[in-house]
Amino acid sequence: MRPVRQFLRSPEGVAGLLMIVLLATAALTAPVVFPGDPLAIRGPALLPPFADAAFPLGTDRLGRDVLAGLMHGARASLAVGIAAASVAIFVGALVGTLAGFAGGLVDEALMRVVDAFQIVPGFLLALAFVSVSGASLPVVILAIALGAWTGPARLARAEVLSIRERDYVAAARVIGMHPMEIALREVLPNALPPVLALSSVIVAGAVLTEAALSFLGLGDPNIVTWGSMIAEGRNVLRSAPFLSIIPGIGLVVAVLGVYLLSEGLSEAIAGRRSRA
Amino acid sequence: MTRFPLSRRRLLTSTALLLASAGLPARALAQDGKRLVVAADSEPKNLNPAIVASNGVFFIASKVIEPLAEASFAGPDGLEPRLATAWEGSADGRSVTFTLREGVTWHDRKPFTSADVAFSALEVWKKLQNLGRLVFANLEAVETPDERTAVFKFSVPTPFQLIRNALPVVTSVLPRHLYEGTDIEANPANASLVGTGPFKFAEHKPGEYYRLEKNQDYWGEGQPKLDEIVFRVLPDRAAAAGALEADEIQLAAFSQVPLADLERISKVEGIEVYSKGYEALTYQLVVEINHRRKELADLKVRQAIAHAIDRDFVVKTIFLGYAVPSTGIVPKNAPEFYEAGVTTYAFDPARANALLDEAGYKRAGNGTRFSLKLLPAPYFSETRQFGDYLRQALAAIGIDAEIVNNDAAAHQKAVYTDHDFDLAVAPPVFRGDPAISTTILVKGGVPAGVPFSNQGGYANPAIDEIIEKANKTVDVAARTDLFRQFQKLVAEDLPLINVAEWGFITVARTSVKNVSSNPRWAVSNWADTDLES
Repeated sequence: MRPVRQFLRSPEGVAGLLMIVLLATAALTAPVVFPGDPLAIRGPALLPPFADAAFPLGTDRLGRDVLAGLMHGARASLAVGIAAASVAIFVGALVGTLAGFAGGLVDEALMRVVDAFQIVPGFLLALAFVSVSGASLPVVILAIALGAWTGPARLARAEVLSIRERDYVAAARVIGMHPMEIALREVLPNALPPVLALSSVIVAGAVLTEAALSFLGLGDPNIVTWGSMIAEGRNVLRSAPFLSIIPGIGLVVAVLGVYLLSEGLSEAIAGRRSRA
Repeated sequence: MTRFPLSRRRLLTSTALLLASAGLPARALAQDGKRLVVAADSEPKNLNPAIVASNGVFFIASKVIEPLAEASFAGPDGLEPRLATAWEGSADGRSVTFTLREGVTWHDRKPFTSADVAFSALEVWKKLQNLGRLVFANLEAVETPDERTAVFKFSVPTPFQLIRNALPVVTSVLPRHLYEGTDIEANPANASLVGTGPFKFAEHKPGEYYRLEKNQDYWGEGQPKLDEIVFRVLPDRAAAAGALEADEIQLAAFSQVPLADLERISKVEGIEVYSKGYEALTYQLVVEINHRRKELADLKVRQAIAHAIDRDFVVKTIFLGYAVPSTGIVPKNAPEFYEAGVTTYAFDPARANALLDEAGYKRAGNGTRFSLKLLPAPYFSETRQFGDYLRQALAAIGIDAEIVNNDAAAHQKAVYTDHDFDLAVAPPVFRGDPAISTTILVKGGVPAGVPFSNQGGYANPAIDEIIEKANKTVDVAARTDLFRQFQKLVAEDLPLINVAEWGFITVARTSVKNVSSNPRWAVSNWADTDLES
């Protein structure tokens, strides 16, 4: 229970937790609070926020409810962020473990592939991938993961290099376990924690990348996302700035929340604060 | 060692000199005073309007290279003379005689003669130009009895009405002495234009600007009034409004200032909003239909979609009132041809639902009848917004439309070459005569790959017959009547759905004079445009 108490004592951790809980609640309750398509036209166009009780955050150029868009957008952003991070960590950890454990030629080959992906900016990679394969949610998730899996791969490999020399790995070898089994059942689980610590950075990055893709019109046009809301609001930035600012705040809260939460978590686990 | 006494006077003079030298380049550029800076949102690679007759090219090139005649609010048949002073068609439709203007010289001081017109017509308009290929398809020869006369000879009767309506768009005259015997499409003069217009092409800095200079020897008396026009490349539409307010640019045409910003900017001191000056460049908002889909081949389904669209909403919310609802394939702005008595489709979702039920497409458990792929054209924010609206309008009648966004090149390929669409939103242009770019939207048998044409697999022999007949009818009244029938047939059979029609908006500083003075103003020569200091 010590880490929990530790965590609750760190202000950034609590703030981050609150933000994420808020967003998660918005995302989970969106279909209940705003059933139906959030892109449906429901009222007069360009209603300012706080002017009409039916549309607390106003409406956009076509008369779509901004609050509904914001809440459904949280779904898309968090879903993309978490899914992309999961794919990236899964693939990265797997590749890193195999490379580190096998060593030799396999290691060389896999690491050169990692290099190849790392030298291309992640956003460019996502941009190219989406424009070639067409915008839809799974494609966007894959596209973001494509640029994000190399970090976990390198970290996992470094961990594995030290773990594979440990005694229990030698013991597993001695009792005749298949190398693949050793890699995946003995080494990987122990190499995972530091890789998981990367997840918050990847989630935050993925949320931003998704928003940037949608902003450029490369997101899935059939769902509402914060990026596409900002892009639409940009045309009326001078006369209705709230259309860009509101989803922008959503983005800030999501990214900040994820960072603060991970900061608090890592501090709690390391127990740095109590020692200081 | 020499001493350098620093007195206050010396310091002041040297500082003043330094300041003056820093200010020099800016003053050197603006020495003539009357320089108009205009926002340009694209940089066409080929600037030759005789080859690429499109508004993006005309916007810049029309000031340098002139047509035989220009559209006009007051002139007879809606035209006023440019390089030709008179034109007359023969009764049999086999020849058109142009009388050319005297005392016109090219920018390189060579004289302009009928040989230039003959060369442009036969070698460029007929062979290379996107629209001229159609209008001058049967042009056989151009006779030049003297330097001031050009007689166009057609192998089959060609309606003079069509030629006349097409004059402002298809007849940009090129200098024969620079093009003859060269590869016309690769000629360096396509990028560095030479013409007879009121402005000479000075320079193009890619990504920055095009600069045009006053033509001192222009034939128009006292024209041009401006000394220089600079087209500043501002690809970001949102930037144009700010630049206008800061007086960095004086004019933004083609709705470069977003419609949503107009109300605000019209109240700014020193800025004027013009909605006139685009009457001959009417854009139409159209839903293109792929008749290869069995659901959409059913007339009842097409009628249901037409009934599902609230044209008033589109005009009021998407175009903010800067458009009018369409009734048919010819816009109201073309009174010569417009036919009001066509089948219309009022906004009536209940009727649309009933029609779909009748057609046998019942709602499934989730309320959906069938799914479609919808491709909104990416050229205008209005076409994209209409795509978003159409998806919702279709959802209301149980049709699930999935939007596919593409960039311009991918959109053209998907719709006009690969036919990989069910519905598409397109903004075709009405160019003064239905035969130029309107009939091709519904005509059968257009080969794949022709952009902005009927690629929905639609074929209706009755419509094709009328189009054929009109192409050969020389008599103006009879031809007009054929096009009126044509509109009725199209509205009845709905090969595509016309939703709204709009012209663009020009926003200019009040110091710019004679704005929007003809129906193609943004793409006309601006010889009388002035700048008040």
